[in-house]
Amino acid sequence: MLKYTFDWSIVTSGKYFEWLVSGMKITLELSAVGIIGAFVLGLLIAVMKMSHFRPLRWIASAYLEFFRNTPLLIQIFFWYFGSYKVLPTVVNDWLNSTNFEFAAAAIALTIYTSAFIAEDIRSGILSIPREQMEAARSAGFSYLRSMQYIILPQAVRITVPPLVNQFLNLAKNSSLAMTIGVMELTYQARQVESYTFKGFEAFTAATVVYLVLSVSITAFMDQYNKRVLNPHRA
Amino acid sequence: MGLALVGTFGTAALAAAPADTLAEAKKKGVLVAGVKDSLPPFGYVDEKSREIVGYDIDFVKAIARKLNVKLELKPVTSASRMPQLTEGNIDIIAATMTKNPERAKQIGFSHTYFATGQKFITNKGKVKSLKDLEGKKIGTAKGSTSEQNVKTAIPTATVLAFDDYPQAFLALQQGKVAAVTTDEAILAGILAKAPNKAKFEIPPVQISNEPYGLGMRKDDAKFIAFVDKTILEMEKSGEAKKIFEKWFGKGTDFQLKRTFKITADK
Repeated sequence: MLKYTFDWSIVTSGKYFEWLVSGMKITLELSAVGIIGAFVLGLLIAVMKMSHFRPLRWIASAYLEFFRNTPLLIQIFFWYFGSYKVLPTVVNDWLNSTNFEFAAAAIALTIYTSAFIAEDIRSGILSIPREQMEAARSAGFSYLRSMQYIILPQAVRITVPPLVNQFLNLAKNSSLAMTIGVMELTYQARQVESYTFKGFEAFTAATVVYLVLSVSITAFMDQYNKRVLNPHRA
Repeated sequence: MGLALVGTFGTAALAAAPADTLAEAKKKGVLVAGVKDSLPPFGYVDEKSREIVGYDIDFVKAIARKLNVKLELKPVTSASRMPQLTEGNIDIIAATMTKNPERAKQIGFSHTYFATGQKFITNKGKVKSLKDLEGKKIGTAKGSTSEQNVKTAIPTATVLAFDDYPQAFLALQQGKVAAVTTDEAILAGILAKAPNKAKFEIPPVQISNEPYGLGMRKDDAKFIAFVDKTILEMEKSGEAKKIFEKWFGKGTDFQLKRTFKITADK
């Protein structure tokens, strides 16, 4: 009964294969930039949110609530189309002459994910008994140094599993970048579909790439956790 | 994206029994047409009546009337219309679809019911020939033939495919792309609705001929023959010309001349 004939050759060689590979590269770039950016920013926001200086805490709270509670798609449109209204013409002209599509998507992904990461890191920090901070402070460490040497190394260890979740989400969320014309993997899969009508093959290929990417991130973080963060337990 | 996937898998699973829309529509008393809903004057929501109206809609209306059934309109996008059809969600596509050999492998086309060519909207005075667009960013909509044509005509250009034409035009207004490209009739429609249309123009640079056809399931032979016969009759009776004049002629924002006739062109 099935009339559909599969033609896997279109996604394993030739022009359409090249499209998918170029899409994969951009997905990898977006994911890499996003993961690094979101982690650094998330760490910063988490520390701000736990600071004893109130204004810092307020800023962090506002940031968290705003970026966690608005859809990522809207944030992407905001950075790409909305920023135009706010920025001066000179800046807009410069942005438009660059690859602003990629930049806007990367900024949106980074900021959106950093809000979730901040909360994960904060819960990791809170799980370290506060006596450790008190002990560190009475041993003469400053607040930041106590964080750096005593609290964060332990907290990050606890935070790794939820962090992996956020990294995986980010890698997959990068497909939303296609709405502003970033030619990432899902975009290219859709292009292959509309040119060849072989959507089944194109999206299967894209699925496999996302799967490999996700499994690689998980495996990497797993090894990192075992070898670097917990060398004694391994 | 989720929809696209469902559509794709649906195509594989559901493309079974040969279609007979003629009998089905008569039995159910309804013909389902996939149309554009944000593309004046082909298919768009009329501000007063809140209904979808346009050139494409008048054609499927005439077909439904001939069939003596009710017409149901379903909004589709350039990317979703073909899966929707093969899946059986709609019976006929009347959504500014260019007939080309690749598509004709998958679906059946009627005779050409509208003909146009691919051009550009640009900032006024910026583009005299294709040379002026070399190395520039050019916007269009996903899943359309426009994209392929512009890549062939200007290989050095970067083509940004947006979800629909209003978004592509917004990108042009913000200077994110140097031009928006698609069929002239669509461009004229976008420009007619633009708040600051004096700033833009459609330079006389054409890169392709675009014959539009109504799309039906490939194995739906009886229905295809019926539609062909109906639109040829509409040409003969002058109804087709009247529809053109109503949406594109003098007194509209487009002021296009009818340079084609519906003929048996297959």
